[in-house]
Amino acid sequence: MATLPPPRISGHPALAYAGIFLAIAGLAVMVVSLFLPLTWLFPEPWPVEPLSYMAIASVVVGLAVAVGGYMAASGKRGNNNGLSGMDDWSRLTEQQFETFQHDLGRPMRRILGKCREVRGVLAATGEDVSIVVHELLDEIEEQAPSFRLMMANMQVMINLETPDAPVERYPVEPTAVVSRIVERYTGQAIEQGKDMAWWSEPEEFGLVYSDAAALEHIIANLADNALRYGGDYIEITVTRDQETFWVCVTDDGPGIPDHYRPHLFTRGWTPEMGRSEEKTSSGLGLYISRTLAHRYGGTLTVSSVVAPSPDHHTVFALALPIGSPDA
Amino acid sequence: MSPRSGNILIVDDEATSAIVRAVRRRLEDEGWTTRVVSKGEHGSADDMLWAAMEAIEDSVPDGVILDVRLGEYRDDQFKGLDLLKRIVADRPRLPVLMFTQYSQGVERETVARSALQVEAPVEFIDKLASPEEVALRMRRLVGADPGTIAVGNRIVLDGDAATVLVLDDQGIRTPVPEVTGRRFEILRELAQAWYRSPGNVVPFDRLERYLEGDDTRASLRVRIREIKVSMGRALGQALGANDFIVSVRDRGYRLLPPRE
Repeated sequence: MATLPPPRISGHPALAYAGIFLAIAGLAVMVVSLFLPLTWLFPEPWPVEPLSYMAIASVVVGLAVAVGGYMAASGKRGNNNGLSGMDDWSRLTEQQFETFQHDLGRPMRRILGKCREVRGVLAATGEDVSIVVHELLDEIEEQAPSFRLMMANMQVMINLETPDAPVERYPVEPTAVVSRIVERYTGQAIEQGKDMAWWSEPEEFGLVYSDAAALEHIIANLADNALRYGGDYIEITVTRDQETFWVCVTDDGPGIPDHYRPHLFTRGWTPEMGRSEEKTSSGLGLYISRTLAHRYGGTLTVSSVVAPSPDHHTVFALALPIGSPDA
Repeated sequence: MSPRSGNILIVDDEATSAIVRAVRRRLEDEGWTTRVVSKGEHGSADDMLWAAMEAIEDSVPDGVILDVRLGEYRDDQFKGLDLLKRIVADRPRLPVLMFTQYSQGVERETVARSALQVEAPVEFIDKLASPEEVALRMRRLVGADPGTIAVGNRIVLDGDAATVLVLDDQGIRTPVPEVTGRRFEILRELAQAWYRSPGNVVPFDRLERYLEGDDTRASLRVRIREIKVSMGRALGQALGANDFIVSVRDRGYRLLPPRE
């Protein structure tokens, strides 16, 4: 089941130990050679020097091997927690992040829980409170999807930077994934006076071989962006042919200016950059989404028609292989 | 809301927390009966695991909501997945909705899913999801379409009586006599799609099944307009192009509960 694999030993310092041993042995022979008349071993005129030279050579070579071996081992080790190798460093980061997630999640759940409790109490007592109270409660609850996405983005970033993170494909119903995203964002959309719809062609879409979590993560980022920067109507469509399926997220917003488009998928870029405004997002969502799309053998592209054109809109199109059980 | 006879078992070490209480309240508002196995009654995560299996044997729930993490210790982190495995082995058709900590990452969920049978009706949802989202997901997992669907706070579709009812401020239900027969079937089709997944567009051909004639598309347009006029009159509000039943270009129609 879902347990972390044991840390792998990927950098062993055996070479360094061998080098140290060789250097110490050479040093010992060098010192001993100064005091022993070894004429029986080396005839005149060089009874001692050859042994000294050999000892000095073994010290030099031994030290070089020791330093080289140590550097190779420590370069791979990267931490002092009994783990070794970059992979294990990533896994350690992942483990620590999970603890962090849990610890951060507890107060967040309490805040949201109390917020929902307040709504329950207001509904049960029928107390007539100011509309401002309801708006404030809405505002608190609206933060939940953003918080969820932010945490997920951080988790996926760590995962993407793990060198041997698996790329697995299993049967996935893309329409169920899209339906889940729409469920998640519908409340937020209504609060903002926006509207979300989705459909698939064919209606009975069937299965593809992909990764539901990755797919959900990409579409969630696109939906979140559309709600944040797009227009009042957001439509998510799922279509397919024999080899590829597409998920398109379209919004009827003012479009993305031409000079923004080259930067959209750049890590850390947000529209506020260069305008001395407060950043409203981390600028990681589209970068992560495109990286994930590539990882699963697909693409993520954008096309946009900018206002004042009457048909202004933006479409993010995710294309992924339908895959097969053997892939 | 819609009456139900189903029951949901909730297995969560934080079952008394406000966030889980809100989910229970929402499910009960929708007519589900809920039963809880939590840490309060049972000491360790393992005890909870066995108590949950007993509760499943006793009450045979229609669905289970299960937390991935059944305790604060590191060993408890995936105890819920152990329980899930047992449930899937014993009752492979029992729908289970797993509460996770946020997304749990791409790798984690892949591992968890790949350990399960493909057909097992298991879904993952993070614990910060709204109670509405949890209830929606449970509905879809359990799968059965209810006889009665509440659309927003003022409209109820009674499938058995094939009638649409509109509620006034006092909760008095008044039938809408014009929305019967084919008009009711079209509205029910739209309501069921909305109930299963809000925002889902019903394609033209699915709605045109209820109509006859050469130009069923035009006929559908007329019927939709008639439904909107009748419902608008009953609700006491004018329903515009973007209200209640909304056309999606070249595709179909979808239901949008009237805004309060």
